[in-house]
Amino acid sequence: MKILLMGHPNVGKSVFFNRLTGAKVFESNYPGTTVDFMKGWMRVEGEDVELIDVPGTFSLEPKDKAEEVSVNMLEENRDCVVVCVLDASKIERGLYLALEIIEKGYTVVVALNMWDVAEDKNIKIGVEKLEQILGVPVVPTTAVSGEGFKELVSRIKEAAPVKIEEIIKNAGGGGSAAVSG
Amino acid sequence: MQEVVEVPLSVDERWDLIDTISKQTVEFGAYKHTLKDAIAELTVKPLTGIPVAIAVIYGFWSFFCDFAGTLFTDGFMVRLFDEHWLPWLQSVFPGGLGNPIYALMVDAGHIEDGVLVASDNCFEAFGVLTSGLFVPFGVVLWAVLAFYLIFAILEDMGYLPRLAVLVDTVLHKIGLHGYAIVPTFLSLGCNVPGVTAVRPLETRKQRFMMITLLSVFVPCGAQIGIMQDLVPELMGWIFLTLVIGYLGFGFILNKIVPGKSPEIIMDVPPYQMPTFKNIMSKLWIRTSKFLLVAVPFVLLGCLIVGLMYLTGAMDWLVAVFGPLLMGWFGVPSETVAPLIAGFLRKDLAVGMIGGLMEQGIMTTFQVFTSVVLLCIYFPCLATFALMIKEENWKELLGSLASLVAMVFIYGGLIHLVGIMLGVA
Repeated sequence: MKILLMGHPNVGKSVFFNRLTGAKVFESNYPGTTVDFMKGWMRVEGEDVELIDVPGTFSLEPKDKAEEVSVNMLEENRDCVVVCVLDASKIERGLYLALEIIEKGYTVVVALNMWDVAEDKNIKIGVEKLEQILGVPVVPTTAVSGEGFKELVSRIKEAAPVKIEEIIKNAGGGGSAAVSG
Repeated sequence: MQEVVEVPLSVDERWDLIDTISKQTVEFGAYKHTLKDAIAELTVKPLTGIPVAIAVIYGFWSFFCDFAGTLFTDGFMVRLFDEHWLPWLQSVFPGGLGNPIYALMVDAGHIEDGVLVASDNCFEAFGVLTSGLFVPFGVVLWAVLAFYLIFAILEDMGYLPRLAVLVDTVLHKIGLHGYAIVPTFLSLGCNVPGVTAVRPLETRKQRFMMITLLSVFVPCGAQIGIMQDLVPELMGWIFLTLVIGYLGFGFILNKIVPGKSPEIIMDVPPYQMPTFKNIMSKLWIRTSKFLLVAVPFVLLGCLIVGLMYLTGAMDWLVAVFGPLLMGWFGVPSETVAPLIAGFLRKDLAVGMIGGLMEQGIMTTFQVFTSVVLLCIYFPCLATFALMIKEENWKELLGSLASLVAMVFIYGGLIHLVGIMLGVA
């Protein structure tokens, strides 16, 4: 099994990577710290799993060279699990990337990172409801202090691909997307 | 029978879906204006942000000079190397003055009134075991440590994106984005990570311009450290010259390089308290990388230059290129030697200028010109190798052509200004 860490720039993917693998990758508080992917190993329920830290990207339509690296990484690893790291204080735009990855048929786990920042900003997120709609594990995390990591790792095995139609149905309409032609 | 085809959602449909999801799951409470926000605003608004930026950079520089220059290098290392290490080696190393192996390893000496005399400091001696060790361990290591310590703190706090917002307007005038400050700052530590950090810039034009400007006008921490030790009184002028060159040639490149320089939108992350662990681990990674890459190159550089002197190759190069250097740039023909060493390591090359200074064959203005020339004339080998990787051959040729043009135009201009001011 392979796990890809994906998400917007500066949501804490490198901190995830360091925490999960014990490796030393640069963590900095500005977007664009990681411009090339990094590989490391972590253990999921006794099994050695390769973890890849992918440069931050806003969407799957690459806009610069670092984003190109990310999209290529995703395409080269069709059978991987994607841990999609979202900034919980800016959840909507993070969801855009998560949905794009889900639509492509990948197995996704959502980490709502920077949970502490969201709390500071008085943003409340119904994690269970979100999980129910998306149909994938959703785990709040605070990477800098390590909160939520145990749960995240323990739930990677639960994840399975979801059809976007399911999500639309669970959300109760909204986008009427599945077009028949 | 109709076949059901799966079509990916359109951008709008996806946003609609996100909207329905977030309405059911996210609740935005009343926003409290926190102290963090207040600090964040103070550092971004021009009226308060510019003074803060100046204070931050001034503080950075003072720490750099006091910690690396005064405390470690002058206070301890110079004494250790000049008063103990060098005399000890001179007394125990077999061969003695004039012997080729001794010259390579310990002290080449220099001619004074027709007599070969021994060196009394590690800038002049130029042996692998003297200058070769003094440059990286006596001077540069401390500069690199001091630089990366402060840099890591600024990085982890989240100050750099705010600096980017502040300088955005200025950098847009030369077709770059405020984000360019991140690779520029990184390059002040080492050009190698600086050039890598250019990737988030959107267009090939911006990346090309940035790589070219970085490799020409931004000196690395090692180089700054040794310049600061050698010519502290000239540092202001050197930086001013480099900044003018960076902005001026950026402006010209922006006009002549085809392509677009679009706006990129960058997030300004919230301020964070840096963690001690992360700072230390970064400091360790960066410093050990420096030691692994720099030290072998410095030693190799010493050896190559020493051999060139011994075999007479250097005299030949001095004779060939001397007139050009003297005539166009106004620096003595002996500057050929540091320029050769500069291909390998800029810090070593600046150290060699220190040697020439000690021998008294350079005026202050010539020292200034040659130090600036060393900064701009060619990226060091490690940076050049990375440029080959990051640019296609067309861009690489473009970078090299601009580099040669910039060196000759700017170097000549500096000479001209010197002549007009009557100091050259």
